[in-house]
Amino acid sequence: MKRHLLLLLSLLFVSAIAVGCSEGNAETTGSNSSTGSEEGEEPKEVYIFHPKVEIADQLEAMAAEFEEEYTDIDIRLEALGGGADYRPALKAKFSSGEEPDIFINGGFTELELWKEHLADLSDEPWVEHVLPIGKEPMTDSEGKLYGMPINLEGYGIVYNKKLFEEAGITEKPTTLSELKEAAQKLENSGITAFAAGYGEYWIPGEHLINVPFAKQDDSASFIQGLNEGTTSIVGNESFEQFKEYIDIELAYANDNPLTTDYNTQVTLFASGETAMLAGQGNWTEAMIYEIDPEMDMSFLSIPLSDEADEDLLPVGVPNNWAVNKNSENVEAAKTFLNWMVSSETGQQYITEQFKFIPAFDNIEPTGIGALGESILEYSKAGKTIPWTFYKFPSGASHEFGSTIQSYAAGNIDYETVLEQFQATWDSLKE
Amino acid sequence: MSYKKSTFIVELIGIAIAILFLVPFYFVLVNSVKSFPEILVNAASFPNKVLFSNFSKVWGLINFPKAFLNSLLVTVTSIVGIVVISSMAAWKLVRTPNKLSQILFIIFVSSMVIPFQTVMIPLLKLSGTLGLINSIHGIVIMYFGFGVSLSLFLFHGFIKTVPTEIEEAARIDGCSEFGVFWRIVFPILKPITATVIILNTLWIWNDYLLPLLVLQNPDLRTIPLATSALFAQYQKQWDMGLAALVLGIVPIIAFFLFLQKHIIKGVQAGSIK
Amino acid sequence: METKLKQKELHTHVKTKFFMSADKKVKIKKVLSYTAFVAPAALFFIMIQIIPFLMGVYYSFTSWNGVSSAVEWIGLENYKTIFTGDPEFYNSFMFTAKFMLVSVLLTNVIGFGLALLLNEALKTRNILRTVFFMPNVIGGLLLGFIWQFIFTKGFASVGNLTDIPFFKLPWLGNEQTAFWGIVIVFCWQMSGYMMVIFIAALQGIDNSLLEAAKMDGAKGWTLLTKIIIPLILPSFTICLFLTISMAFKIYDLNISLTGGGPFNSTQSIAINIYQEAFHNNNYGLGTAKSILFFIAVSAFTTFQVMLTKKREVEA
Repeated sequence: MKRHLLLLLSLLFVSAIAVGCSEGNAETTGSNSSTGSEEGEEPKEVYIFHPKVEIADQLEAMAAEFEEEYTDIDIRLEALGGGADYRPALKAKFSSGEEPDIFINGGFTELELWKEHLADLSDEPWVEHVLPIGKEPMTDSEGKLYGMPINLEGYGIVYNKKLFEEAGITEKPTTLSELKEAAQKLENSGITAFAAGYGEYWIPGEHLINVPFAKQDDSASFIQGLNEGTTSIVGNESFEQFKEYIDIELAYANDNPLTTDYNTQVTLFASGETAMLAGQGNWTEAMIYEIDPEMDMSFLSIPLSDEADEDLLPVGVPNNWAVNKNSENVEAAKTFLNWMVSSETGQQYITEQFKFIPAFDNIEPTGIGALGESILEYSKAGKTIPWTFYKFPSGASHEFGSTIQSYAAGNIDYETVLEQFQATWDSLKE
Repeated sequence: MSYKKSTFIVELIGIAIAILFLVPFYFVLVNSVKSFPEILVNAASFPNKVLFSNFSKVWGLINFPKAFLNSLLVTVTSIVGIVVISSMAAWKLVRTPNKLSQILFIIFVSSMVIPFQTVMIPLLKLSGTLGLINSIHGIVIMYFGFGVSLSLFLFHGFIKTVPTEIEEAARIDGCSEFGVFWRIVFPILKPITATVIILNTLWIWNDYLLPLLVLQNPDLRTIPLATSALFAQYQKQWDMGLAALVLGIVPIIAFFLFLQKHIIKGVQAGSIK
Repeated sequence: METKLKQKELHTHVKTKFFMSADKKVKIKKVLSYTAFVAPAALFFIMIQIIPFLMGVYYSFTSWNGVSSAVEWIGLENYKTIFTGDPEFYNSFMFTAKFMLVSVLLTNVIGFGLALLLNEALKTRNILRTVFFMPNVIGGLLLGFIWQFIFTKGFASVGNLTDIPFFKLPWLGNEQTAFWGIVIVFCWQMSGYMMVIFIAALQGIDNSLLEAAKMDGAKGWTLLTKIIIPLILPSFTICLFLTISMAFKIYDLNISLTGGGPFNSTQSIAINIYQEAFHNNNYGLGTAKSILFFIAVSAFTTFQVMLTKKREVEA
């Protein structure tokens, strides 16, 4: 009996190695096209590595339609999920020589990091249709474009219209005092005002802190000034005002904001336990509708003062497709990207299947929900401010997040907060 | 031995601790048959409606049979290799007590404290050149390299307690070194071999990062890789994810139930003096 | 014993007499068999662990960012940075050391306790053994997510029901509860693992020895400390070493349970290194940290192994 087991195991062992060897080759024979493209020429493979698991299936379906039109190109998609980090995995792939042909880049700081690997896309046919805001992250100092914006996203404070009515709030709050007043009214009628998710570093460390950065008269030159040492966070007006907003949010928030993670935060709002969802954007839509399909909601801005021009939403490009310059199939990769945003099928997928807010002026947004609509309204009215956190030094948002957590826990006062922000920037800048 | 009152009390204590240990599993099981909104809103309670459809859905969604076979292949081949090479090396190192053996042993063991993340990039650089990427045999070889430290360490500790007389006797009888090891020594190692198998199985079966970096071909996906697709950066599909988790751990628990007997009764059989 | 020794002497004596001329041959044969047994393990080990590690050592002297093809040699600069300007690294080192001490102690005590418990003639022995071991079957990240949920939601609802202050603490929300939260989960998971090793050792004890000791009147505590523990000291060496290296390397659990927070108070060294190498894009600095860490941990564990080894010999 035991002998047999051992024999079986060693057989398995040997066969595994054999299988492993042949497996690698099996793939290149191509399997998808039933239309008969086997005319000797091997299809070019475009390998796409992305973190968008939420649309992985739809992307596969879209790729299949593309392959039907272009029988000489094979699309191989790989999605990274499981809460694992995309960026380290991407670095590891490049180290192993299994370089993806198309991958994701956040732009700005990350563009600089990866630029030597990226193909110049400035001359692509789709470039003229990209909205100005969509070009910004992937444009380098010489004006060359290295990426295609995947979509637009925006965030602010999502509010539950029904609960606002119940509390007797008739006017949409746009300034700091109005927001505080609304929160007080909600509390008076027994409703928790804010769902605050300080358990995730990126909610305070990217989304919230972005507001004082973006509300500088010229945020780009403010950030450049920080890098050169000519401007400063300590003593800056917007950063001083930022305290007020944080204080209001925390004063009227759910219990234990420091242990509230993304899922809990969104659930608090979606299940009607709180009237507002702070620092979150249109990406929460799907999850909210899943819990409450009837939710009637829209965006408020994150105000810093009582000035009239506070009603602005941060809108930006979360990620961009970038093409590997050293790929054998640069042209095929470019063909695919172009098809995705210019063909009717591709455009349909972007709006109806992925439910993206397109960053192109020639794609009509359809199939987006209330939050997406709200973002579009703000964008059309020009009431937007930029996303600056992709311009932060690498690793800074983690530190910003931890500083704000510390403040929320009551460990440090606000003066120290500003000093720590400044110290973080100074120590992490290049 | 008779069943005494004191034993009964010990038994009760044991059961109480066991219940404490099982609490997290309650959450996993209960939520694996709930709908997604129900998990988020009401995670601690019993399900309103038991949805076994989570299991059937996830079965097809992640192509469970395929992932299961891949996991099995990777785990079994890695374990067989690890057990063979590390038990052999451990035995020789213990039985040849010289400077070289000592140094080798220390190097083997101290490598256990290297965090994987720090060798990740160079390892992939190297394996790219060696052609270990994107194949089952490639990842198996990596598991050999990583698994050998702990296994050798465990075997080493055990072999030290095994008396040498039987080996000597076998040698006098004309047994070759391989014969001595495989016929005499290896059977005695059974309890520790079972331990090594269990510990390595757990690690390899659940490992996520290494397969992620090495197995890019979707056809080679292991269970953790297939499951991970259910957990996006923002949206985590807990309903599917927990059902997949249950599917993934059932084989491991069954395997442990099967092997634990060997840890226990093994030594009595082997303790010929 | 004595007769055996004599036998052995005799045996070697005979051997040397017979094969005096073939002394060299024997030596070659010995070397060959040593190689045959050790080389396969060593080969895979060197290829997969040692070479990448040495490559890492090289990177620790560079300012490589992990992406660029240009790798610039900067000598000891990274090491200087760690010692002069990195309070975060120091903090995470202190956290890891503190965590290691507490959790290693608890895990081994609980694990050994469970093993002793299951060494009794219990009716539910097999089931209990499986149950205690089960926490190991859920791997890394998922485990943290599940526990996060238990701490933040489960504990809170138990607290509301029973009014026990323990459950009403802000679990994971401040430095203390986050620290103990990680300790609890680590012990929950690892004590079953240690239990398996202790059980294997307890099973290895010669029953006649125990019977003899019992006849001599040894009972309970004395039996445990004077007979059982000395007999299985090697397994303590193993378990201590394992828990120490695991506690030092802790990564998945922190990431998924607390994310290193709140405010970086539970940032383990592994997380710090990972952040430095991959998020701050200072791969060179990250590896320099990991090498220092490696040296510290190996020094510590070697010391620990030597210490327990000594006691093993004395026993």
